Amino acid sequence: MIVNCSGESLVLSKERAIYWEREHMLIISDLHIGKSAHFRKSGIQVPDTVGTTDLQRLSSLLEEFKPKILLVTGDMFHNKINSDALAFSVWRKNFPELSVILIKGNHDALKNSDYADLNIEVHQKELLCKPFRFIHDKPTVFDEYYNISGHIHPGVAIYGKAKQQLKFPCFYFGEHCSVLPAFSVFTGLKMLKPEEGDRFYAITPGKVIQV
Amino acid sequence: MGIETSKGYKQVIKWLKLSRKKPFKFQTDAWQYYAEGYSGLVNAPTGFGKTFSIFLAVIIDELNTRADLEKIKPAKKTTGSKKKKPEGLKLIWITPLRSLAKDLARAMTEVCAQLELDWHVGVRNGDTTQNEKLKQKKQMPEVLIITPESIHLLLAQKSTFNYFEQLQCIVADEWHELLGSKRGVMTELAISRIKGLINEKNPERLLRIWGISATIGNMEQAMDVLVPYEDLLKTIIRSDIEKKIVIKSILPDHIDMLPWAGHLGFKLADKLLPIIRKSKTTLIFTNTRGQAEMWYQTLLAKDGNLAGLLAIHHGSIDFELRNWIEDSIHTGALKAVVSTSSLDLGVDFKPVDTVVQIGSPKGVARFLQRAGRSGHSPYETSKIYFLPTHALELVEAAAIKEAARTQDIESREPVVMAFDTLIQYLVTLAVGDGFDDEKIFFEVKQTHAFRELLPQEWNWIMQFITTGGDSLTAYNEFSKVTKVDGLWKVESRQIAMRHRLHIGTIVSDAMIKVKYISGGFVGMVEESFIARIKPGNSFTLAGRVLEFIMIKDMMALVRKSKLKQAISPSWMGGRISLTANLGSILRKKYNETLDKAHDDEELDIIFPLFERQAKVSHVPKSDEFLIELIHTRDGYHFFAYPFEGRQVHEIMASLIAYRLGRIKPISFSIAMNDYGFELLSEQEIPLDEENIKDLFTPKNLSEDIVASINATEMARRKFRDIACISGLVFQGYPGKYIANKHLQSSAALFFNVFSDYDKHNLLLRQAYDEAFYQQIEEPRLAAALHRIQASKVIIVKAQSYTPLCFPIKVDSLRDTLSSEELSQRIERMTAEAEKRNVKKNKYQKE
Repeated sequence: MIVNCSGESLVLSKERAIYWEREHMLIISDLHIGKSAHFRKSGIQVPDTVGTTDLQRLSSLLEEFKPKILLVTGDMFHNKINSDALAFSVWRKNFPELSVILIKGNHDALKNSDYADLNIEVHQKELLCKPFRFIHDKPTVFDEYYNISGHIHPGVAIYGKAKQQLKFPCFYFGEHCSVLPAFSVFTGLKMLKPEEGDRFYAITPGKVIQV
Repeated sequence: MGIETSKGYKQVIKWLKLSRKKPFKFQTDAWQYYAEGYSGLVNAPTGFGKTFSIFLAVIIDELNTRADLEKIKPAKKTTGSKKKKPEGLKLIWITPLRSLAKDLARAMTEVCAQLELDWHVGVRNGDTTQNEKLKQKKQMPEVLIITPESIHLLLAQKSTFNYFEQLQCIVADEWHELLGSKRGVMTELAISRIKGLINEKNPERLLRIWGISATIGNMEQAMDVLVPYEDLLKTIIRSDIEKKIVIKSILPDHIDMLPWAGHLGFKLADKLLPIIRKSKTTLIFTNTRGQAEMWYQTLLAKDGNLAGLLAIHHGSIDFELRNWIEDSIHTGALKAVVSTSSLDLGVDFKPVDTVVQIGSPKGVARFLQRAGRSGHSPYETSKIYFLPTHALELVEAAAIKEAARTQDIESREPVVMAFDTLIQYLVTLAVGDGFDDEKIFFEVKQTHAFRELLPQEWNWIMQFITTGGDSLTAYNEFSKVTKVDGLWKVESRQIAMRHRLHIGTIVSDAMIKVKYISGGFVGMVEESFIARIKPGNSFTLAGRVLEFIMIKDMMALVRKSKLKQAISPSWMGGRISLTANLGSILRKKYNETLDKAHDDEELDIIFPLFERQAKVSHVPKSDEFLIELIHTRDGYHFFAYPFEGRQVHEIMASLIAYRLGRIKPISFSIAMNDYGFELLSEQEIPLDEENIKDLFTPKNLSEDIVASINATEMARRKFRDIACISGLVFQGYPGKYIANKHLQSSAALFFNVFSDYDKHNLLLRQAYDEAFYQQIEEPRLAAALHRIQASKVIIVKAQSYTPLCFPIKVDSLRDTLSSEELSQRIERMTAEAEKRNVKKNKYQKE
């Protein structure tokens, strides 16, 4: 699905990513690499496949759109370097040409040297790239930039007859700010309540649909 | 050899005589069997000293042992003046409720003091202070009153094996309560370990296991679950005394006073007041917390004199407040208490002489248990009033009376193959002293719950806690239970701590504490409820109208509201389904009503309504199966009346809808209650005398169920508890932050992850099994279909809603309409049906 946002055309992929063609930029958020390993280390059984699936999905996105830049709006890593993060570093070597930019989120707590080793460009707070501001959590004051953020793992409910209700991860586009769905499959959803002027794009198993 | 000649027996009898008491036969039986080394189950009505049957048996045994010792070493001169060193635990007393422990300990301590036995009675549960626990660690009391959860916590400590060296007996009190739940499985597992520990040290030592239970349908099985061991002698001791119970319905003056469909029963509130007034203390049982709140308000509004003398008690009210209410019942300071199942069990409240049940109790056992809350002393009569909330409940009252008379009481099905509980138990042991997997497998296999456990299932469970899962799925870096010096242990202190915090099998919805902004807790409400309330709005809790201010530190801050009335929180859970027993008696009562072959006053009152039903449709006899087809503005209604309870009807309704859908494409909206179900469609339903039996055939039942219901959705719901119990999801406690933000997740997420990546996960299988056997109750559904096949099908095309179908019709509205509009709509619909009847009658007369 292609949407128009602040005069720019953005592709919304059902693999929970935005492709900004003009800048050859693939934008994702809340990758949470290492989350499953962190759980395993703490004695909670989460299969490895969860992490590897995320990386495979990312690979196929890169093949589909062939971007020059991969931008992650925060929460790329979950806590510390662990086996999942090592799997990422192997994966990273397959795409030496790709520049990876991270805007730090609340979970990103790797050492600076770790980011350097992984060849990731880190921005502490935000990245301005007209007309957008990329930032982990949406700011409280708004200016001329349109904010693209992540952090909350947005979800939306679709209601049917007979009290049926289905929940999906979604892209949210509001007046000043849009929110990306969490990229990782091992994440929960925060259900959003629609307000006037909001646009929601639900990610159903088959495709992205506007709600 | 009789026990009568022993020293201990004589001592106890002498002591009883002092207070002019004589033991009941079942008590002396219990003492005799205990002395002979038996284990078993004691079954006696409440108020006859079930506790003393076993407790005094242990005391007599101790007194005799001491007497024997003195014979061998006749008053050997003790060199020091030191007192004899305490020997440690002799008796473990498991109770399901914390509130029971306090009173039990008081009674037991008194007995020991009066018999001059130097025993200490200790209590250990969630309310026990850290200080007290430390004292117990240094020196265990001789008697320990404990909950199943706290025993597991004890096993999660280091060097627990020392505690049980002198243990003589484990008692499971109120075993019928524990039996049907995973807490029962916890009890089974704890006993297997303690027995194993004793056996390791001293294979000759005898450990007795006794249960105390109210009457249930499967007493033999209840004993086998508690005492599955072949090396133990066992017996059931039943008292021959019958508890006298008087059941009386609060009847309307005329049947038209009662609505046709489920209201809250306020119409009869005026008839309840005189009963409260003439009784010393009355317990008023309701089925839901919301209903309790509303009755509390109603009674206060009706009689201002009750202010200060009426209290409300349910599970969501703050612990301290509940304690205060319980104490006030003891002292007789309260005239009446409105309560939910929170007061079902336990301690005898002496002043309580009257019990009132509002609405259908849905089961015989529950009703009798509640009745037993009054007239607690031996030979006193328990008195219970039944207050119907709608007309048809009068028949239920008659059915319950009959069941009570014939002692036709439900069985409690023990839980088996609860892998989640087993996983939790194994980690508990690993957190404690560690375990030997071969030894524990042997012990676990002996319990009733895991009798059918296969070696490969055991292996999977071991993998799950040691490597994360079977080798087909990788679990890198997983660490939880590891082998150290030949024993499986948890080494990480963090994991151990987290595990200890969530031992238990009771999983509640996320609850949030409610606190006055000026200080003082009121109780708890569900987080989802408070999320819907805006600051400034009011709600009722614990009988108070509260204005919501804000959420702070995971607590809802409130102040007293000036409003008189406000919305009540709806707590989840609520709807209990009619049991199979009651269903079948109910069918019989329908027979008797029209024939007048009965002497139930309830059935006389409801007779006019049955006449009306017979006129517009038909009253089903117990060998008949009634179907009503009604065409209204809403569409084509199909009503069926199997009388099997809401839960069975829910599945049966979707099954029939699915089978009808195979005849022609058609969509339905479904509604049900305890008597029957409704399918409603815009188009005509393809149904006639010919195909009706095919629709209700038990053939291909399993396949059709799977196709007709969303089994995945049901399993997902069941998985919520399983994920918590097995330690995948940590819930935290109400009002406390979840300790580790990095480890937050939800059961639904795990359900998806396992479904996608680890299909062989046994916990997934357990979720589907639980859905099929507990939710879907396939065996019961099959039995119902067989019965329908054998009965005569009667199809009636009715002109308007009949008295029988009306409650179902209304129930279906409940989902879409708010309660105010609902009552209006019910009124209107009753009037409509009425009007049509009048018209019809006129027409016939003319």
